[in-house]
Amino acid sequence: MKLTIDGKSVIAKEGQTVLECALNNDISIPHLCTHSQLSAFGACRLCLVEIDGIRGYPTSCTTPAADAMVVRTDTQALQNLRRNILALMMLEHPSACLVCSRRELCEQFRPEAERTGRTTGCHTCSNKEICEVRALSEELGFAELPVPPAYHERPVERSEPFMDRDLNLCILCGRCVRICKHHQGRAVIDFVGRGSQTHIGQAFGNSLLDAGCQFCGACVDVCPTGSLADRYAKWYGRPEAVAESTCIFCDHACALALGTKNGKVTAAQAVDENVPVCVLGRFAVPEFLNGTDRLSTPHMRVGQRLRQIPWEQALEMVAGKLRQFAGDGFALVCDTTSTLEDRHIFKKFTNEVMKSTNYIEIEPDAHGVSRGSLPAGTKAALLTGNFVDLAALKELGLSIVQDCYPTPVSQRADVVLPAAVLAEVEGTILDRSGRKRPLHKACEPPGQAKPEWWIICRLAEAMGAEGFEYESAEAISKELRISNAQLWVDRVEAPPAATDFKLRRTHFRGHRIDEKVRGLRELPVEDPCALEPAQEKHEGAFGILEKHEIAPNVHEIIIQAPEVAKKALPGQFVIAMVDEKSERVPYTLCGWDAQAGTITLVVLEKGQSSRKLILLSAGDKLVHVVGPLGVPLDIELYGTVVLAAGCYGIGGIVPIVEAMKDAGNRVVVVTEARSHYLHYYKKKLQGLCDEFVETTIDGSVGVKGHAIDAIAEKLKAGEKMDCVIAVGCPFMMMVTAQETKPFGVKTLAALNPIMLDGTGMCGACRVTVGNQTKFACVDGPFFDAHLIDWDELRDRRAAYSAQEIHSLGRTEAVVTGHSGGSGCKCLH
Amino acid sequence: MTSSRDKGLSRIADILAKHPANRGSLIPVLQDIQQDFGYLSEEAVAELERRMGISANEIYGVATFYTQFRFSPPGEHTILSCQGTACHVRGGRQILTELEQRLGVTAGRTTADGKFDLERVACIGCCALAPVVAVDGKVHAQVTAKKIPSIISRYAGEGNFS
Repeated sequence: MKLTIDGKSVIAKEGQTVLECALNNDISIPHLCTHSQLSAFGACRLCLVEIDGIRGYPTSCTTPAADAMVVRTDTQALQNLRRNILALMMLEHPSACLVCSRRELCEQFRPEAERTGRTTGCHTCSNKEICEVRALSEELGFAELPVPPAYHERPVERSEPFMDRDLNLCILCGRCVRICKHHQGRAVIDFVGRGSQTHIGQAFGNSLLDAGCQFCGACVDVCPTGSLADRYAKWYGRPEAVAESTCIFCDHACALALGTKNGKVTAAQAVDENVPVCVLGRFAVPEFLNGTDRLSTPHMRVGQRLRQIPWEQALEMVAGKLRQFAGDGFALVCDTTSTLEDRHIFKKFTNEVMKSTNYIEIEPDAHGVSRGSLPAGTKAALLTGNFVDLAALKELGLSIVQDCYPTPVSQRADVVLPAAVLAEVEGTILDRSGRKRPLHKACEPPGQAKPEWWIICRLAEAMGAEGFEYESAEAISKELRISNAQLWVDRVEAPPAATDFKLRRTHFRGHRIDEKVRGLRELPVEDPCALEPAQEKHEGAFGILEKHEIAPNVHEIIIQAPEVAKKALPGQFVIAMVDEKSERVPYTLCGWDAQAGTITLVVLEKGQSSRKLILLSAGDKLVHVVGPLGVPLDIELYGTVVLAAGCYGIGGIVPIVEAMKDAGNRVVVVTEARSHYLHYYKKKLQGLCDEFVETTIDGSVGVKGHAIDAIAEKLKAGEKMDCVIAVGCPFMMMVTAQETKPFGVKTLAALNPIMLDGTGMCGACRVTVGNQTKFACVDGPFFDAHLIDWDELRDRRAAYSAQEIHSLGRTEAVVTGHSGGSGCKCLH
Repeated sequence: MTSSRDKGLSRIADILAKHPANRGSLIPVLQDIQQDFGYLSEEAVAELERRMGISANEIYGVATFYTQFRFSPPGEHTILSCQGTACHVRGGRQILTELEQRLGVTAGRTTADGKFDLERVACIGCCALAPVVAVDGKVHAQVTAKKIPSIISRYAGEGNFS
């Protein structure tokens, strides 16, 4: 078939749609609901085209290409239509960042998305780097919202295993609904309700688990927005590289595409996306590999304790001891999840170096459980997993454990050697039908962990043996003549566990996988001995009296802290700890009542520590609230004082507004937010100040732009300002400072660096102001905003970014008392 | 002896037998079930999934698109508050507000004790009597907010709403 698209003559194959034909010929047509794995749907209407002889604007994704068709894809009319269609979509998707006039500056200052609980703009979205809506808006030149956007205030669903769902970002493209039906053959999710109330959901508001979700993750993979996210992977962002290897959690040996960042596996997906992998393949690999308790250095028993020692010393020591146990008194126990190469070395070592016949290879059962016992008379054993009972160790003169995670057995062993596993090693395994499948190294093992062949080869060498001079797994496989190992990428049928998670394996090398991968604990399995979920209870002295989400992601918390309330002054802050082990985080005092003994904090959920805090509810207690800290703001008669506030700062300025007013100043309050629904405390502030100005980045209410835009406008009009005080995020305060400087207006900013003790001892909150080093906790928080080194502040605030992402990745599903898995519904 | 649940399930089987066994029958089947049971229960939808091979989530998705389906047992009495043009002009909004306050539910809901459904409707077709409230099909004409308690108590039995 010959068609003309945009004047270009192209050939279409039988059965191709106009869209497919165009894309095949490098003619781009914007599209959103279309997905390579799915049949045409025609819902998003972005791929509209003009076709001679066809009335109106047909969707190219549903129109079959036909001979002699004349198609136009990029006329002015189509561009206008598409922009309008996208604008309508954007009215129900947080889109302020897309129309922000300081977008480039913001991207430059803070390229990484901020890790908030609720996403209210691209800047706080985990999907930012790969968002299709964002890319489309750039492509279509979308720059303005026709009317104020709507925010549905739907609860962020964080109580399901492995997946977070924020339907406030959903554009109802239906990809998730369709891929679910496609992969599972049965809809677990569907469009629920009608009109503006339509959302993705399950029957009768049931949880995904109750609705029959198998956690194949396909919906997450096809979502064009940040609505559906892999809880573990979300904040790592786009992987730097993707490596393909084989999953060895079971012997189906599916091929996995492993996304890596900074040498860590952060996400896993089926290589052949058309057939789902099971929950272990999709969600368990990164969390299992990145566990914080992985064995990472060799340890040797000294008296009662295992002590860290260098590899060389460990090998020397083990070699020396093992020599005494040559013969059948030695046994080596492994299971078949070790590679063929490793097992060859294990056997060779046992037979040739140790002169023993006791090479024991266990075949895991259907649950992945590998249990074995040591032959009678064993005096020394090398165990490459958690295979034997603790009691067996008592009879031994020497026990060596070479493993990935500690176990009761490893804790009693004489020597513990850290092993690299799964995607950390090269090698070959056999699948259930005896086909060879390759393992490729995708990431670095933790610390000093080594491949198993390496450990045993070096051990053999240390014992003076010959024939173990291998330097790679490949050298061993060459000798074994292992060839033709192919990744299983042409899967016709999904493994049984992909459509029924109860059939998944529960153990890997004797370790319970759900001990390492928390989301699995909530998924029933054909195994009665389920883990008891650990319930951490925190008891502190500082009770929460009230807690409300007063704007999306902004929480007002009233805490019993009478000693703080007695002494608090405007501009001061407290440091709070949710539990004994949590980070110490400074929060601005937004109000206090000395008589009632309470303080009010306005907390933005951003990162792990504030997340922990906002997940508490009235009645819960904090372990520590220290304060008031910091130098109170100088309250004097300036004349006209302008307060610029954003996010938590809107709450933070309340005491300052009151005090400045009491001191006789004319007080102007300018608040900023991305959109109208993010403003709060409006009435309260209006009642306190002389003039109240609201700004929104999307222009949905008040002045369009940031707070500084309203302030600059006033300054340009010749209004007198004696002092500008900015309270908000560093970006907002920096912009305010930059733009008040030319006017020569005294400008103060409340700095919010990372703090530890809050009393000037640790130096964590070091900031540079006018080339002088200051501590925000005892010299601040208020400094001359024109002299602050903002880049340094930003960098220091991001110092533990990697650790925070790792910590958020290991965050458990929110356990709430709310029904139906709909998460915390405290938003009102 | 058969339980009430079994009886319910056999009624669903009877309903299904009256319709062609295909996906296209879903809405008529749902209508019949609602006619028979008064609402679409989670059990009924689960039974439909078993018998029709359509996932409960999908059935729920279809059913929630239509305002005619309900998912909780209907109240003993249904109160319709007319908000049509004539009733609106003559204060229908205040009548509805009064009803909502007296019953403690918003329109479209059932009272906690299961006694009343409160629905807003666009026109009952007796505009000369506006504003009207219809309870179980009986039309109360020229209603005022003051008359609401007595209308409710007539159906409430114990008269707790006065």
